[in-house]
Order: sequence, then structure tokens, then C-alpha cells
Amino acid sequence: MWGTIVQQTFNALTIGAIYALIALGYTMVYGVLRMINFAHGEMFMLGAYAAFVLLALMVPDIGAAGALALTAAFFGAILLVGFAGVGIERLAYKPLRHSTRLAPMLSSLGVSLFLVTGVQIAAGPQPRMFPHLFPNQRYEVLGGSITSVQIGILIAAFILMLGLHFFVNRSRLGIIVRAVSESRPTAQLLGINVNGAISLIFFLGPLLGASGGILYSSYYGIMTPTMGAVVGLKAFTAAILGGIGSIPGAMLGAFILAFVEVVGTALLPILTNGAIGTEYRDVFAFAILILVLLFRPAGLLGEAVSEESMVYKREF
Amino acid sequence: MNLVFENLRKQYGSNVAIDDVSAVFEPGLIHGIIGPNGAGKSTLINMTAGSYTVTSGRILLGDRQISGLKKYQIAGSGIARTYQNIRLFDQMTVLDNLEVCYYADDAGLAWKEVLWPPYAKSREAERHAQCRKALAQFDLLPWISEDAGSLPYGRQRMLEIARALVRDPSVLLLDEPAAGLNHAETAELTARLRALRAPHRIMIIVEHDMDLVMALCDRILVMHHGKLLFQGTPAEVQGNTEVQQAYLGTSNDIDEIKSAAQDRRAKLGLRARQRSG
Amino acid sequence: MASTVLTTAPARAPRWLAFLLIALAAALIVATPFLPNYYIRVANSLLIYILLGIGLNIVVGYAGLLDLGFVAFYAVGAYTYALLASNQLGIHLPLLAILPIAAVIGAATGILLGLPVLRLRGDYLAIVTLGFGEIIRIVINNMDWLTNGPKGIPALDRADMLGISVARPSEIFWLLLVTCILAGLAVWRLQKSILGKAWAAIREDQDAAAGVGVNTTNAKLAAFAISATIGSIAGVIFAASQRFVSPESFSLQESILIVLLIVIGGIGNILGIIAGAAILILLPEVLREFAEWRILFLGLLMVVLIIIRPGGIVPRSLGPDVLFKSLFRR
Ligand SMILES: Nc1ncnc2c1ncn2[C@@H]1O[C@H](COP(=O)(O)OP(=O)(O)O)[C@@H](O)[C@H]1O
Ligand SMILES: [Mg+2]
Repeated sequence: MWGTIVQQTFNALTIGAIYALIALGYTMVYGVLRMINFAHGEMFMLGAYAAFVLLALMVPDIGAAGALALTAAFFGAILLVGFAGVGIERLAYKPLRHSTRLAPMLSSLGVSLFLVTGVQIAAGPQPRMFPHLFPNQRYEVLGGSITSVQIGILIAAFILMLGLHFFVNRSRLGIIVRAVSESRPTAQLLGINVNGAISLIFFLGPLLGASGGILYSSYYGIMTPTMGAVVGLKAFTAAILGGIGSIPGAMLGAFILAFVEVVGTALLPILTNGAIGTEYRDVFAFAILILVLLFRPAGLLGEAVSEESMVYKREF
Repeated sequence: MNLVFENLRKQYGSNVAIDDVSAVFEPGLIHGIIGPNGAGKSTLINMTAGSYTVTSGRILLGDRQISGLKKYQIAGSGIARTYQNIRLFDQMTVLDNLEVCYYADDAGLAWKEVLWPPYAKSREAERHAQCRKALAQFDLLPWISEDAGSLPYGRQRMLEIARALVRDPSVLLLDEPAAGLNHAETAELTARLRALRAPHRIMIIVEHDMDLVMALCDRILVMHHGKLLFQGTPAEVQGNTEVQQAYLGTSNDIDEIKSAAQDRRAKLGLRARQRSG
Repeated sequence: MASTVLTTAPARAPRWLAFLLIALAAALIVATPFLPNYYIRVANSLLIYILLGIGLNIVVGYAGLLDLGFVAFYAVGAYTYALLASNQLGIHLPLLAILPIAAVIGAATGILLGLPVLRLRGDYLAIVTLGFGEIIRIVINNMDWLTNGPKGIPALDRADMLGISVARPSEIFWLLLVTCILAGLAVWRLQKSILGKAWAAIREDQDAAAGVGVNTTNAKLAAFAISATIGSIAGVIFAASQRFVSPESFSLQESILIVLLIVIGGIGNILGIIAGAAILILLPEVLREFAEWRILFLGLLMVVLIIIRPGGIVPRSLGPDVLFKSLFRR
């Protein structure tokens, strides 16, 4: 029993770390543009495919790629996806900044459709094997077992999130990003380069999302062109759960969601005598989403968005 | 039916926007609310219209408590408003902008409008007649089938007032109706607003243009730092030294502005970057 | 008088265009039942998409709310027919009884889903509906005892209405055509009613709409329920015409395609929906070899259109009523 608990905790932490990396992109974009970026899940997917392609270019046998090639592919891929994110924002969202609220979201839907089918055409719709980024070893800890893959994912995600935290809170650019998300008009009046800040967000979000995609694919050993949709939905749920627009909220929400999912999937078949099985795993995220919206629409760490706060932002 | 503020208070965190304001507004009169920027004038309007919640105190229309009701309920019970920043339905025609106000009356029979065309026709004709009347009052009939967003700024201001007026409200709240208007338009507005005075109607105008306020209003409330500083007739307000000071400002105010700016910067984290030296 | 100078002329179409379009539509309608079955099937799927577009357009086009799980209501309707007219549960109700049942279930589902979300501001609706669409699919996939899981429910009853068979493609064609026309008329009257004006106001500025007395939650709920009803009815007819349902038909991509056809054709406009559906359905039929490129192209088209022509390819002012008026103008 104890072993199972430890085991499931490790699993939840791993999945939570990956959700968090993606949720950050949603939350940062929403914080600044008040827009749901439906193409963000595709950045996750693109990350995995880009890393795969880079690896294939570097080494003849992907399964036997060395540490250097893997590292190079990882960083190459997330940078590529980051730049792709900036490019997509410039082409597909920026022209719509003064349009209706719906327009950029619809545009991002179009982008999402385009990217998924694009990858489907280029790489085939079938799932593909993805190499392990880390040597696969098991360690017994506290009665449960943790793999080196999980440890690697946790460390990588931790470093990335710590980097983001310092960047946003300590660096000059990060302060500018926060100023822009606090109030775009005020930032503009202060002479802040708003476009630059938005580009930066559309670089960092996809970059983190892509890293999540690579880690996810290497965890499960598989990637598909459509994997962005469901994971994206869950990451977005995590962002809402934590309070959309809040960066620590996105991380918190992601870990909570992962725990609920793991625990729920483990418990439900027992509680219902097998009537409800693990296939309902994906339903948890949605159930949580509805519950949060019903009882705490501002999320755990978010500020309530009311007409009052909107009027305030509008008039000052 | 009087509109009554009872010990109204509105607080944002530690910032007290409205501090214990009590006042009575009577039908048939035009009430002005003046005060420097940030005094809390718009907050009063927004609380009355239900856009903002009330921290404590009550707002009553006759015997009925208004504060705490939903915004559409307040609008439905005859309180109409305009906004400091114009908020029209930009991509709807001028006529539709007014017609939609009848939703409060007609929503229950919308199914009948859909299923029984003759009823729809007659009901629509009634609504249109009312809307045209309000539009005619502001000479907006030439624009009747244009999109509201395509009107010149001055006409949009007029249209917003016409929209507030269409259901013959018992309380009319105007938040800076002359803001952004040129001299001629302000004169036009003054004349039109004067014509809106009616025995059953409470009019409340928030305005910075003193000529307009002094020319129109019967009673004036002076707000300052969220408090009700003074109330009286235009002549009394003009003669009051306290009011003059509030407008001219004291050295005190400058300190306050500075510290407020500092707070804001601290919040944004800019101070962290300021090197001492 | 000044007014005549300033008033914009009511929307008009050139007479030849109106004549051409109406004649084309009439010719297509009359000719279709005599074409080979393959063409009738294409026409039927075109009509299904038009019906779905009409339903979704209420929420997206009129009320300005993004619903990405519309296909869930379509699925609800289809499975209602499948369960009530097959051996799956041993129930064999006639189509005319199932239609109202499906309409009620559809509306109830829409209200249940809308209730928690529609009173909130922001764009949560898009994400909740997206989730809901996925959930419905997962549930259908896994409730084997009821829905037969991924295998789907085969051998649905041949539908008939008051003794007239509606099972062959040409018979389904007439049913769909009539349903589309009825739905189109109902929606057109809704749009012109006070409820339609309220939807438009909500689309433009939700707070200001509440400020003029619109109970925004109720108005949005009405939009959601009516749209769900139409989606559900489309599902019933789809099931009756395929005589087979499986979860495959109700993917997320299907939902997005319906949004797409509205956006491409012109948000808030029935002629736009027809144009959008035609592009969506006829394109792959014409470009058979490039089937997989079609979605790629449509995604791109969506982005480009939203940027350079946000109103879609058919102008908003050009409705069927305008066409008819232009035709009979002196
Ligand atoms: N939504 C809000 N959130 C926080 N503070 C607000 C909000 N609205 C107004 N305030 C504060 O309340 C005070 C009064 O504002 P307001 O009523 O708009 O002033 P006025 O209309 O007299 O210029 C100001 O200090 C302003 O900063
Ligand atoms: Mg103000």
C-alpha cells in the first residue's frame, strides 16, 4: 500500500511537471492578451516532432543517440518552436489585436488545424516511437520505484520553471512583461515596447510547451500529431484551476490536476467495483474544470475578473 | 420617488473610493455631481447602476432597495445610464441600439414574436415608434440605419443619451456627457438636457464643464477624496471657499499623488531595479 | 431633406446576381433527386452541414460565444435515434416521435452545460465546450452496454413518417431540405426578434447589454439551448440516413470544421453558411487526390480570411430576404 502511494506520487509529480510547462504558456498569453491560444497544444506536439527530426539529422540510429545529440536536439527543438511561436503571433494574431475578442481565438484554431494536418501529412498520422532522453534505470525509493526518466523530467522541468521564475521576477525584461500584463495601455503610456513584450511571451510560452512535449514523448516513448489537443486541454484546465494569468497558479494547478488524475484513476475502479475504469482518466480534468468554474471561477491564485476590474483597466 | 444614498461606502483594498456618503435626489430636479478626478463621481454612478457592488450602506429608490440587485434588474426597474467612455453596440444599427432596451419588457414573449409574425410586426412597430421618438429628440433620425460605431463622436454621445432615455426612465445617470465635445456640441447638449427635465424624473449629471453644470443643475454635490464635501444650489457652491480649495488643490494633494505613484511602481517591481546612487 | 442624403440605402444585391443565385438554388433542388445516389449523398451531407451551421451560428455568430463542442449535441441526437430505433435496446419508435424527444434532450444537455459556464465572463465557454465534446466521445466509446462502444450501433430502423418511407437518399434529401428551410426560417425570425437583438448586444458588449436591461445569462442560455436543439435534430436525421452510428463521426475536428464553415462563409449569415458548407463539402469531392491537404488548406484559409476579410466571403448584409427583395424590385 505504502509503496503504491509513493509510486503514484512520483507518477503524479512527473505528469504535473509536464502539465505545468504547458500551462505556463496558456497563462502568460492570457495574462497579456486575454486570449485563449488554441494553437498552444500544437507547440507541445511540434516540440516532440522537431526534436525527432533534429535527432534524425544528427545521428543515423535514433534509438542509440548519445547524450550530446539528445541535449542538442532538445535545446535546438525548443528554440525552433519558440521562434515559430513568435512568427505565428506576428502573422496570425498581431493583425487582429484591435479586432473582436473572438477573432484571434478563431485564428488560433485555424493555426492549430493547419499545424496538426501539416504534421500529419509530413510525418504520417500514425504514432511514432520516441527515444528516451535519459538512460532508463529504476531506483527503489521509500518502497516505490522511480525511473531515471522521471527524475530527469522532474529536474529538467524544475530548472526550466526556476529559470522562468527568475526571469519574470528578477530581470528587466520580465518586469516589462509583467507591466504589460498588468495593463497594456498604461505600459504603452510609459513608453514600454509592448510588441516586444508580447513577442517575448510568444517565444517563452511555446519554448516551455515544446520542452513539455519532448519530455512527455520521451516519458511515454511515443508521439502523435494529435497529442496536443487533450494534453493542451488539461494544461489549460490547470491554468484555470490555478487562476488564469497567474504564473505560480499555473504550476500549482498543474500539480493538483495531476494528483487528482492519478489518484482518481487509481481509486475509481476500486470504489466502483470496476464499473468505471481507467478509460475515464481524461474525464477528471473536465470535471475539475466545471467544479472550479462553479465554485471558484477566479481559480486558486487568480484575481477575480469582474466588470469592476474590467472598467478599471479600461478607464485608466 | 426619491433616490436615496444611505451611508454609502466603497473600498478597493485599502483605497476608500467612497466614504460614508448620504444624499437624497428628488424627481423633477437636475442634480449635478462635481469634483476633481478620482473624487469618486463615477463610482457613485456605477454603484447606483449596479455595475459596482456596494461595500456598505444602501441605495434606495422609493421604498425599494436597489443596491444588491443584479444590473439588469436595476436597469429594468427604470434606472438608465451613460458611461464616461462611450459604450454603444458598435456593430448594431442606431435603431437596434435603442430597440434592445425593450428586452426587459418583451423577453417573456419573444417566443410569440418568433412564431406569430403579426404579433411580431405590431410589437416591433410599437417599439420602433418609441425609439424614433427618442432619436428625434436628439436629431438622430438621419442615422437611424447606420451602425452606431460609424457615427461621429459627438453623435455617439447623443445616441448614448437617447438609448438611456428610450424607456422613459425614472432615474437618468449621465457620466460626463460633455467629455470630448466641442463648444458648439456642448451648447447643443446643454439645450437638449434641459429639455429632458420631467416631473417624474431624477436626473444626475457628473460633469467637469462648470458652465454646463451651473446652467443646468438645481442642486450640486461636491465630491472630494470620496467624501461628500458640500451640497447646495449652484450659487451656494460657487460662493463656498472649501469647494474652491478642493479644485485648486493644496500642497497636501501633491504629496498624495507622489506617494500613490510610488506605490504603483513598487507594485510593478520597478523599484527593485532602482540602484541607490 | 438631409435625411435622404445621409441614410444608407438598404442592402441590395444586383438583380442579375439575385436572379442567378435563386435560379441556381431552385435548379439544384429540383435536379438533385434525379441524380445518381452518389450525388444525392453529397447533397445530403451538404444539407446536414448547413443545418449544423445554422445551429452553431446562433451561438457563435449571433451571441458571439465560441462553442467548440457543438458536435456533442449532434452526437446526442444521433445516439437518441440509434437507441430508440434499433435492436440495441429493442425499442423501435417512429422518427416523428424521436424528433421531439431528441430536441428536448438536446436542449436539456445544452442548458445543463451552459448553466455553470454562461454566467461567467471570459472565454471559459470555448474551453468547457471543447472538453465537453471530448467527454461525450469518451463516454460513448466506453459505455459499451449502452452504446456498443467504438464498434457503434448498426442496422438502425428504416425511418418513415406517417407511412411514407424516409430511408433512401432521395427521401432523406427532402426531409433535410424541409428541416433546413424550417430551421433557417425560425432562426431568421429569432434574429429579428427582441431576443436576437439581445444576442447582438451581448456579442458587442456584454456589460453594456446588462446595463440596458438584458438578462445576459438567460439570453445566452436560450441561444445555447436553441442551438443544441438544432444540432440534436441534425444528429437524428444523420443517424436515420446512415442507419449506423459510431463515435468516430463526432470528433473534435468535426466541431472545429463546423466553426470553420461559419467563419469562412460569413459569421451571422445564412447565405454565408451555405457558401461555407459548400466549400467544406464540395472541395474534397472535387479534389479527391488531395483529400488530406484539404484541412490544411481550410485551416490556412480560416486564418487568412479572419485577417483580411473578417466578415467571411458573403457580406453580412446579403441575406436571403435581400435576394428575394432585389428580385422583385422594379
Ligand atoms: N474598479 C476599480 N478598482 C480599483 N479602484 C478603483 C476602481 N474604480 C475606481 N477606483 C478608484 O476609486 C477612486 C474614485 O474613482 P472614480 O469614481 O472613477 O473618480 P471620478 O469619476 O470622480 O474621476 C479613484 O481613486 C480610483 O482609483
Ligand atoms: Mg469619472
